[in-house]
Parts: sequence; structure tokens; C-alpha cells
Amino acid sequence: MFFVKVLEHTATLHPSFFGAQASEFIIDQLYRDREGSNTGTMMIIAIIDIEDISEPKIVPGSGYAQYNVSYRAIVWRPFRGEVVDGMVNSVVNNGFFVEVGGLNVFVSKAMIPSQLKFTMEGATPSFTDGTEQTVERGSQVRLRIKGLRGEMGTMYAIGSIREDYLGPLLQ
Amino acid sequence: MRIHTPPDLAYPLTVTKLLCSAGDEVEENGALFGYKYRAKTAVWDKDVRENVQKELDHFADFESEVEGTILSLKVTDGQVLRGVTLVAEVEEPCKHEVQFGGMCADCGKDMNTVSYSTTVKNTSRATINTVHGHTALLVSQAEASRADEEAKRRLLDARKLSLVVDLDQTVIHATVDPTVGEWQEDADNPNHEAVKGVRKFQLVDDGPGGRGTWYYIKLRPGLTEFLQTISQDYELHIYTMATRAYAKEISNIVDPDHKLFADRILSRDENGSMSSKNLKRLFPVDTKMVVIIDDRGDVWSWSPNLVKVPAYDFFVGIGDINSSFLPKRPELEARPKQAATTDEQQKDDKPNDDSSDTSTLEVKPDEGSSAAPSPASTTPSTPPAANGEVSAVDRIVSMAGKQDDGSMEERTQEQDKTIAEQFADRPLLRKQKILDAAEKEAEASPAAEVAAEMLLGDGESKDATLAEPSKYRHNLLQDDDTELESLATSLRNIHGSYFEQYERDNASLLQSSRVNELKNSKAGSKKKSLDELERIPDAAIIMSALKNKVLSGVHLVFSGVVPLGVDVHNCDIGIWAKSFGARLSDNIGKRTTHVIASPERRTAKVRQAAKRGGRVQIVNQNWLYACFSAWTRVDEGPFRIHTDANGNGKAGDLPDEFRDAKSGEQLLSSSDEEAATTEDEADESGTGTDSEKPNGVAARGRRPLGLDTELEDLQQYAPSMERKDSSPTATEQEEDWGDIMKEMDDFLGSDVDDLSDTESIKTGAEVPLDGSRTPSSQRKRKRDAPAGEDGTGGAVGESEGEGGAEGSRLQKRKKEAMERTTSLTNVQSVVSLRTATPAATAEEGGGSSGGGGGTGDGDGNAAGEATGWEGEDDLEAALAAEMSREDGDEEA
Repeated sequence: MFFVKVLEHTATLHPSFFGAQASEFIIDQLYRDREGSNTGTMMIIAIIDIEDISEPKIVPGSGYAQYNVSYRAIVWRPFRGEVVDGMVNSVVNNGFFVEVGGLNVFVSKAMIPSQLKFTMEGATPSFTDGTEQTVERGSQVRLRIKGLRGEMGTMYAIGSIREDYLGPLLQ
Repeated sequence: MRIHTPPDLAYPLTVTKLLCSAGDEVEENGALFGYKYRAKTAVWDKDVRENVQKELDHFADFESEVEGTILSLKVTDGQVLRGVTLVAEVEEPCKHEVQFGGMCADCGKDMNTVSYSTTVKNTSRATINTVHGHTALLVSQAEASRADEEAKRRLLDARKLSLVVDLDQTVIHATVDPTVGEWQEDADNPNHEAVKGVRKFQLVDDGPGGRGTWYYIKLRPGLTEFLQTISQDYELHIYTMATRAYAKEISNIVDPDHKLFADRILSRDENGSMSSKNLKRLFPVDTKMVVIIDDRGDVWSWSPNLVKVPAYDFFVGIGDINSSFLPKRPELEARPKQAATTDEQQKDDKPNDDSSDTSTLEVKPDEGSSAAPSPASTTPSTPPAANGEVSAVDRIVSMAGKQDDGSMEERTQEQDKTIAEQFADRPLLRKQKILDAAEKEAEASPAAEVAAEMLLGDGESKDATLAEPSKYRHNLLQDDDTELESLATSLRNIHGSYFEQYERDNASLLQSSRVNELKNSKAGSKKKSLDELERIPDAAIIMSALKNKVLSGVHLVFSGVVPLGVDVHNCDIGIWAKSFGARLSDNIGKRTTHVIASPERRTAKVRQAAKRGGRVQIVNQNWLYACFSAWTRVDEGPFRIHTDANGNGKAGDLPDEFRDAKSGEQLLSSSDEEAATTEDEADESGTGTDSEKPNGVAARGRRPLGLDTELEDLQQYAPSMERKDSSPTATEQEEDWGDIMKEMDDFLGSDVDDLSDTESIKTGAEVPLDGSRTPSSQRKRKRDAPAGEDGTGGAVGESEGEGGAEGSRLQKRKKEAMERTTSLTNVQSVVSLRTATPAATAEEGGGSSGGGGGTGDGDGNAAGEATGWEGEDDLEAALAAEMSREDGDEEA
């Protein structure tokens, strides 16, 4: 789900950048570092604006200046039970991997309806029921998030398509 | 799950009541039964008005660590548990057999949560990594074998095997040298034709400046057809030590439709180890249906499933750009060309910044001195000496790296550096320039070696003018062109015989199971299919059988092929030959059938073999390589060398410098070298001990002359001087050795004569370049000493003539050094003047003043030498080493 959230960021600036443009450097750095990053629970999609840049403080012992920046950003945070769309990244015999933005989702065989069978036809692995539904690399899939876990920088999720209206999207 | 009582409870426990029964659902940490135990507790005693220890009954509940349905409860009311006991069996709704990113893929639970009752971590239930591209997905052993079974069934149905393909230098060759791009643009460039087919792609994340590096990829000739044909018999996997992005790009090039490899790509990002490849990573259960092709055997620890492919080396001097993650090639690839390239590579790998400079320096004089048209043919004459050195250092580095946790980062940096260096150095352009210059002289076509590789006819015409090593190049080229064809043939053979055997096994199985089928068709067929999977033939065994046939009955002796100090049985070519059924021995015996020799050296073994007439074939390594790639015993005819060799043949047909250089480079196995040289000497001079070794070995003073046998023996075990020459620890070692000699000296008795004797050894040992002369001159001095007892310097000096003249420069330097050291030695020398001087006088007179009567200062210094050593061993050693270095410089 997408949110607009006020976030805090602590940035340090090298003394050689001190001057009238210091705050611009800091904002630059903020955009560079934070946009598109993954905190482990959410992904920062875009920074809307900067709310406040604090007065800099010199970090004792180093000479760097430390700024506290608070900014508003559009973030995406997946929740357990949420239904999301994603693209299949790779298919293996015990399930398939889906990329939902920055979130890696694995849909295991237990979470796939039993009529979809794993095949290696034509050396391209896929889950297919032989008629209209096929999950292979590159196909769009709608799934429900069953489990979520985040480490710094990455998020993992377990997904399921074993429900009505879930599974490969018909293009 | 079977639930046991944990070992850290206060046994004995008495079960007081059961809180649930079989068939009940239990939650995690839900109570199974209540129990009581006795324990000492501090209790307030009213009478003594203080706490006393008292045994009391305590009551507690035993809780299930997992949720699920209770299948059976193994305890009864009143039962006493005296240790770890099985108390219940609980069927879990999910066994968490597939886990993804720390979660169960089947139920979505977090596997990292640990509660107080947990005895088995949930994460330990699934530890096997089966999927190529994802490390986050782990499965349990049971799940893995299930998947494996499935895969096997699928493969058997399709009548395919699995083939694990290495990328770099096996099916492609890559470089980041931007020269290639320029050559591609420039239609007039001689290399244009050759690099036309080179593909390129850009990777953004690594490379100098983070700008993104262009990678130039040359496919091995015939690769597309090879993959097409082989994919009918094999399911293909990529297993590379390169990054995932790189591997993806390569697979886009070699397999644009993703039909061949699909997603079966394993890169170093997913490989557990940085230095080795492991089949278990891809096939955790069993590897019966797996064949590997790779250009390196060591990273697979010579797995029996491996088909080793000769390395593909298109961009000369580049090597494997992803090799910093692999252990260094343990030796020179036996082909001289390879040797040169890996060597340079290693040099470039060296962390110091000036390494590229030195390599340039080293290459250039070479080109000048030996006017060979190809750089590859000349480089072997210098670098191998450094090779032993560098690889030793590298080995230490890599050993240290393995222990270090930060080694990954370190190696990434190293690789980045290598790439950056290659990027900046442009080795190809450099070589092209050198080549152009050389070829102008040779009047050959201006085509670069790259072009030459493509144009075989051209190579042939040049062949006559090339130095020996380039002959290999020529052969190598042919190999390159046909390697994949012959590889495809042998892979097809493996496939063929595998399924032949499978059919045979199946047929007999079918017979036996027919009875079963009649009795109970359903169960019988099921059983059959299970048996079938267990009984499938093992590709490794079939391959070994096929390979063993190739060279069975062949007894090999290597001569001049395996680098010095490398065990024949453990070197690449040796292991490789053994895997084809050949037997190796160190010396020529009755059963020897082939001597694998290098064409430019007629070693003792070659002559020995030649004496045996036609029974022993003398061939070059390429015969072995041809056998390896064709998987048949090819005709020796074209590979025969030294056909004119006979028992009395001399090794003198080569210029001495060449042999000197060679012997100094440790190209040969030690026994070989010694045998060869000694025999040469016996042939040439026939004088035996006196001038035992005028070439390489002795020149380095490894075995000074005319010594007591004991000393001589000892000297043999001295660290070899060739190695020390460039070693940073040379001086220390010399000091150590000096100490040993001194000890030996004391042991032998310390009269002056002996002393001077050992001194001469020392000079021999310490002065690698002039060593051959100095000892002999000093030896002569010693022998002549009695003759010139009166100190009539002139006469002795004249007799000394030839010996002294050459050594004199060194002597003079020493003298100067002695004058500079301390006057104390001079004082001392006066004391010992009477005993030691006659010889010294003669020596000095003969040496410095050319037979004149200049005894005066000569005396003191020579004696000073003799005595000074006693006290100033170390200083002396250092001085001598330094002087020798200067001498060497001057001579060079």
C-alpha cells in the first residue's frame, strides 16, 4: 500500500562542502541516498518535499557537520494479507519468484492451485493447467501476501495464488 | 515431530497428570502434561530464623514446542522420567520444508522466531540450496530428494543428462581491453577480421570510475552449433565464477532465446564458496546424471564427472578475467603460450602499482633480444622464473584470504583492480605494437597474432621463423577450431553409453519384475519405477570407464614438461592423464611406452628413451592434449619429436644462454634437470667432478665445486639460488645458510685451511652470478697454495691467470668493502698473516695486479677476508649479495 509519510534522515557533510550551498548538498545527498531505498519494512518511492533541515552540528572528533532532515515521501509498504500484482522473475520446480516492486515474493507449490502443474516444456519451466492459465517467466501474477520479513535493504514475502481471482493475469 | 524432554530439566520427573490425549490439537507452547520434581530451595525457617536449604516438590507443566495434532502421548500418569525421554508425537500442519528469506514458503511463518521451549531451530529444517539463481530459497533434505527424483524422472523420459557448463575460457573468452572495440571500428586494422565476431555488452556497476565497462566476448568457434546439438542430449546449466549480471549477459549472447539455459544460471553471487565449485550446490542429492565441462579441474577438485576442456585463449595475454575469485592456477598450463599469459595475468594481479611497469619492461627487452615475431613465443623465456615466485606469494595471499572473513571484499577489489589495469594497460594494443615492430623485420604479414590465429596458412608460413614455443601456438589454434566439435562428440558418446547401460539395466529389471507385475500390477509397477531410479547408472563411472580406455596400457614419463618442484602425480596434466587411464612414473622403466617431452630440450630421459629404440614413443604434450580432446588414442606420428635422438646425442644444439635461462626458470622437474645437465657434462667435458656444471645450476652456485663430500651433500639441500634471486627474503635465508655452514665448519674442525674452504663455499652460495668462477678460483688458490708457499706472488699469480681474471672484479669490490669496514680486521689479519697469506697473496696478486708483485695490500685484505668472516658473517653475506647484484647489473 502507498502512503505519504514524514521521515527523518540524518546526513553528514564533509567540511569541504561547508558554505552557502551546504543545505543543497544535503538535499542532494538525501535524494540520492534515500529515494528507491528499502528500509526493510517499506520502500521509499519518491521524496515529495523537504520539511525541515536542522541547524548543523559538528560531530565531535571528526569535523563533519550533521544535519537532521525531515522530509515527506511516498512510501510503499506491503502488508500481510494484501493482494498485489507482480511479474514472475523465475520459475523453479517448487514454486516461482515474483517481483512486486522491490519486494521478492516466493509462491511455493503449496500455494499454487493443484491444477497448475510444473512443466519443463521447451526448456522453459512453467506452471500451467494446459489450457489458459500459464505462469512462466515474465507473466503478470496477482497474489496475496502470506508472510513478510524484512532485513535491512531487502524484503522477502511468501505469496499465494491459491484463492479465487488470484493467479496469472490474462493479458 | 517427536517431542523429547530437554536434557536440562531437573530429573527425575514424575508425571502427575496428563493434560491432553492423542488426537487433540495442541498449540505452540501448549501444555502436554504436568509433572513434579524435587529440588533444594532456600526456605525461611522460623526456628533458626534464617534461610535453610530444603528439598521440596515443585510442580510444572511440560509444553509442546510445536503446534499440531497429537498422534500419541508416550507418558502415563505416575511415570518417572529419568532422562531425555520421548514424550509425544505431534503432527505438524506444516513441516516448513521450503523456506524463503527466513519464512516458511508453505505457511508464511517467520522461521527465525525462537521461543523458550524451542529445541530445534526452524531454520535448520531447510538448509539445502537447490535453486540456481536464489540463495534465499532453502529446502529440506526430504524436499530436495523429492525434487531430485522428479528431475531425474523428467530427464530419463526426455533421455537427457545434465551438463554443467563453465563460461570463461571454456565456451567464451572475455576481455575489457578497449582496444578490441577500436579494432572493430577500424576496418583497416589487421585485427578487424578477427574481432568482427566479438560481441560486447556493458555492465554499469563495476569497473573503473563506475562508468560502466564494456566487455568484449569472443565465442569459441562453433559454439552455437555445439550448444544446439548438445542440448538435444543434455539439459544445460551455467556455473560460473563471474557475477550474476555478467553471466546473464553472456547467456543472452550465447542463448538469445533462453531456450538452452533458461534460468539455470549459477553465478558466484549464489555460489557458497569463492574458490571452488561444487556439484552439491546444484545437485544436492546425487550427481549420477551430471556431466561437467570446465577448463579448470582444480576448482572441481577433479570431480569424476568433469570433462576438462583445454582453456580457450583468444585474447592473448588476458586469461580469465574472473579468475581472481578462483585459486591461482597451481602451475603453468603446460602449453608455453598459456604459461606466458597466465603469468602476465598473475603479474598484473600483483597489488603494487608498478607491476604493470615492470611487466612492460620485461616484455620489451625480450622482443628486442630474440627477434621472434610473436610476443607469446618470447615471453616464456623470462617470466616463469617469476612465476614460481608470484604464485608462491599469491598462494600465501590466498591462504590468508581464506581465513579472513573480509576476503570476499578483498578479492572483489583485486578483481576490480585487475579489470582496471587491463582497461588502462591495453595489453592487446601493446602486444600489437610490439608485434608490428617485430614483424616488420620478419617481413611476415602485418596481421596480429589474433589475426594469425584465424589465418592458419599464414601461421604456417611463419612457423619456420618462430621460436619453438610458437609451434604450440600453431597446434593450439587447430585445437581451438575443433575443440568443441570433439567435445560434442565425446559428450554424445557419454550420453550414448549412459543410456545404453540404462537400457540394459532396465531390460533385466523388467524381466525380474514381470512376475511381480502379474501378481499385483499396481504395486509392482510402482516398485519398479522406484527401483529404476535407484538403479540408474552413474555418469561418473561411465565416464571414467570411457576415459580409462583411452590411454590404458600407456605408461607415461614426463620430461621437461612439468615445472620444477611440482609432483608429476599432482599436477594438472598428470591428473588429467591419469583420469584417462594412463600410468605415470618418474623414470623410464621397462613398461614405459611414451615419453612426453618438450621439443626444445633433449633431456636425459629423451636420450634414454631413444636408446630403447622404437619401444618408447617420444612425443610432445600436444599428443596428450589431442588424446584428451578426441577421447581416443590418436596416432603419435605427427607429434613425434626428437626422432633423430640417439643415445649419444648432445644437447649442444641450442645456444647456451637459452639453456641457461631455461634452467634458471625451473621449467623442468628437478630430477630431470639434474640428470640432463650432468649427463650433458659427462658427454661434453668428460671430466666429471671438476667442471661439473658449467651451465645453469652450477652457475648459480647451487653446488660449489671440489668440496668435502659431506659439505657437498649439505649444499644440495641449500635453498636453491634461482629462487632466492628475486625473493625478498633472500638475504635472511643466506644468513641462515651462513650460520649452518658455520656450524658445519665448527664441527669439521676449525683449522684455517678448512675455514678458507668453507669461505669459498659461501662466496659460491652468496654470489649467484659469479659463483661458478669464484669458487673455482678460490679452490685453485687453495690447491696452489702449497706450491707458492714462499709467497712468490708472481709465479702463482700467473698460474692463476684465467681463473683469477674473471673473479677479480668481485675480489676487488670485496677488497674495497673490506677496507671500508674496520681496521680491526686488518690488525687481526696480521696475526694470521703467516698461515693464511700465501694463498691469499697469490690470489690477490694474480687477480688484481695481473701477476705483478703487489703483495702488500693484497695480503691484509685477503687475510682480512678470511678472518673477518668469523665475526661478521651476516654483514659479509649482505655485502656479497649486494655486490653480486651490482655485478649482475653491470653484466646485463
